Amino acid sequence: MSQPDVTNSPAPAGKTKARKRPRKVGVSLRARGEPMIWLTGGALVICIAMIAGLLGLVLYQGFATFWPGELLRYELRDGQVLMGELAREETHRPDESMLAGLAEDEQTVARDLLGKSEEGVLARRLVRTGNYDITRTHFHWVEDFQVARTEAPEWAAVVERMEWGRFYGWPIGFKTEGQMVTEDPAEVWSLYRENIDEVIARRAEITGLEKHEIGAINRRLEDMRLALRQVALDEGEDSAAWQAKKAEYDRLEVSSKEAFSRISVDVDALRQENARHVLVMKTVDGSEVDLHLADVVRAYLPNRMSTGDRIGVYLDRWWEFLADEPREANSEGGVFPAIFGTVSMTLIMCLIVAPFGVLAALYLREYAKKGPLVSAVRIAINNLAGVPSIVFGVFGLGFFCYIVGGSIDEVFFEAKLPSPTYGTGGILWASLTLALLTLPVVIVATEEALSAVPNSMREGSYACGASKWQTIRRIVLPRAMPGIMTGMILAMARGAGEVAPLMLVGAVKLAPELPIDSVAPFLHPERSFMHLGFHIYDLGFQSQNSEAAKPMVFTTTLLLITIIACLNIGAIFIRSRLRRKFNVSQF
Amino acid sequence: MSKLITSLLSIALVALVATSAASAQELPEYRPTKGVSGNIKSVGSDTMNNLMTLWAEGFQKFYPNVQVEIEGKGSSTAPPALIEGVSTFGPMSRMMKEKEIDAFEKKFGYKPTALSTSIDMLAVYVNKDNPIKGLTLAQVDAIFSKTRKLNHGEDVVSWGQLGLDGDWKSKPISLYGRNAASGTYGFFKDKALGKGDYKDSVKEQPGSSAVVQGVASERFGIGYSGIGYKTADVRAVPLAKKDGDDAVPAVAEHAYDGTYPLARPLLLYVNKQPNKDLDPLRREFLKYVFSRQGQEAVSKDGYFPINGAVAKKMLAACGLEN
Repeated sequence: MSQPDVTNSPAPAGKTKARKRPRKVGVSLRARGEPMIWLTGGALVICIAMIAGLLGLVLYQGFATFWPGELLRYELRDGQVLMGELAREETHRPDESMLAGLAEDEQTVARDLLGKSEEGVLARRLVRTGNYDITRTHFHWVEDFQVARTEAPEWAAVVERMEWGRFYGWPIGFKTEGQMVTEDPAEVWSLYRENIDEVIARRAEITGLEKHEIGAINRRLEDMRLALRQVALDEGEDSAAWQAKKAEYDRLEVSSKEAFSRISVDVDALRQENARHVLVMKTVDGSEVDLHLADVVRAYLPNRMSTGDRIGVYLDRWWEFLADEPREANSEGGVFPAIFGTVSMTLIMCLIVAPFGVLAALYLREYAKKGPLVSAVRIAINNLAGVPSIVFGVFGLGFFCYIVGGSIDEVFFEAKLPSPTYGTGGILWASLTLALLTLPVVIVATEEALSAVPNSMREGSYACGASKWQTIRRIVLPRAMPGIMTGMILAMARGAGEVAPLMLVGAVKLAPELPIDSVAPFLHPERSFMHLGFHIYDLGFQSQNSEAAKPMVFTTTLLLITIIACLNIGAIFIRSRLRRKFNVSQF
Repeated sequence: MSKLITSLLSIALVALVATSAASAQELPEYRPTKGVSGNIKSVGSDTMNNLMTLWAEGFQKFYPNVQVEIEGKGSSTAPPALIEGVSTFGPMSRMMKEKEIDAFEKKFGYKPTALSTSIDMLAVYVNKDNPIKGLTLAQVDAIFSKTRKLNHGEDVVSWGQLGLDGDWKSKPISLYGRNAASGTYGFFKDKALGKGDYKDSVKEQPGSSAVVQGVASERFGIGYSGIGYKTADVRAVPLAKKDGDDAVPAVAEHAYDGTYPLARPLLLYVNKQPNKDLDPLRREFLKYVFSRQGQEAVSKDGYFPINGAVAKKMLAACGLEN
């Protein structure tokens, strides 16, 4: 645009020649900065594309996991019959020896298909065939050329069970108290739907009774046992105090035995009630199986369902995933303990890191005299941010768990030894370790925020007679608050996504007991916890049924990303409120 | 020293197998008692990670407020945790080494108690498309080891050397294995490599399932892992002890008849004082493991359960006779 202006600008004729060169430079692409625009813009686009691609993958895979698909029955050419849900499809390039090894009819079809395919590939699909208790496999590969016939049987049912994974088959009967009530699939199904809600409610009731009532009795007894042991440690066995305590313990044991059997009667009654109904199913290979309704989590007829029903099952599965405890070595059920663990650990970490980080930064910026020592401290803090997180994990394990926790155990929990209370990984130690890890982020951000508060404000405050601390407290800190919050947001994002150090200091595969619950003293900082990040690792690399776990990896990742985003949005919301507050009061 | 361990291991396995075959005694049904609560912590084998979790879940059905925590980063993590007293149980997929037992004895004055809970077959996995029919242990050694202690004639680096044709002939073998903390690593090294050294090209994976997934995703891959981690994407290759023997597939019957060369017991180590009873929590957990329900969890995880006679012997070993 500016080009014509430059060339047409009036200039003395004699100097035109000399000026031509620099003008040309001004005209060139590079000088106008066009390539730099493209370079910077391009970098941004690549960044966005990568983030969008990653999110897209996680979103697509994560949301697809729980969608109930069709249930198909495959008749293979060798006479085998399979039924299952499609897990995924792929193509492969067969070699001659493999083709030659096939049965004749399969070979003909395979060669035919191979001839039709332009790339010279054959297709196959992975079918989830379930019924692990009968067949000992979860999945089957089915080659396209093997399939003689495919159909979607109308009454084919998917049953998700408490144990042994999914069951695929047909409903052929409904028994109540051992008596066959009906054998018509439609009636069987309506009977199932009539009864299942009650059964599930009773199951929840049993869990409640066991967990709370029997749990309370057991806890009292355990506490008493520990108290007895403590007395034995302090006074020695057979001492008078021990005898008294022992008598007390025996009394409690008798009374809790009574309470225990009273509750057991209730539980047994509920169990018996639940055991009344049995769903009789036929598998694809013809065997009949009795499924107790008490073991059924959810059952549906995928080939008879409308889209609305499908959405219902889909949402129900999401709810189970979010609200339930894991089952079957974490491969089924929900991840509620992991969500709870992740959020509470992150919040505890924030509570610890915020005061420490802010106080340290305050001293560095407001009190300390500038000099080589302060610079050295600053460099050390910045270096701390670059230390690999696993090193913090090792430090946490050695210092917090073994030294600090071990000493606490020796002093306060002697009776429980050799099983450690604080002397092992726990949510408190994990939060402390992560607090150390994120400390540099908070210190650096706070320092920046403090230095952005204009000196004139401090001087004004001193001029009014305020002391140094009053100035910091009333003038500097409030104005630095939004900047400090930014530091906290960064720290939170880093802390919530960190897994490696947690594996050493308290995140475990299974810990359904939450670190905060309704049992006194409500907060249990010594307990190990489950963490979504660790759960993802566990599903991805340690799961026995890794094929079924793969989609769950994406779903769990989606959940973790959502939780971190929510935590961040919460912090950003608080920050913007603070900002508004102080912008108004600026004048 | 290591010879002693090998012989101990084989005695344990033979005893396990022999009694399995000899008697059809039924496993006892587990019945809960009262007053069991507290904290169980298990640190050890990755192979037994899911098994421990399944046991924990089953146990918690009887005792809902027992807390169970499970860590499975490899068998080598079990002895230190038992010695430090941070764990209640030490699941291991190999026997403890002499050194580990000594360290334990030095601290407590007695040896740890080893309990065989189930049988695993260490399987050599290949991709599902791999047409290979079977391997001898010497071939396996030549594939995975640079020392070739089992005296295979040549170093095996391509599938052609194992008799595969066509596409496979010239393709190099891609190796997957476990990390050194794992009992699977140690057991495979002892049994399949004749205590030789692994090749440097073995890609060490952090978990058993990761090995299987690696082989599943790479057409020319081969790896070893417990049978419980088998998926539809991989195939367990039948193995023969010596050249000329029939290759034995990794299926249940060969776990019991002792013909599969890489069968091993999955162990649970307990710190039990010789003349003192176990505390109620550990006692009940062990009773559960050796009950019908506990052994059902074993087959749920893809391993092979022990029978009633062995279970009884194991319970007797930790002073639980009834």
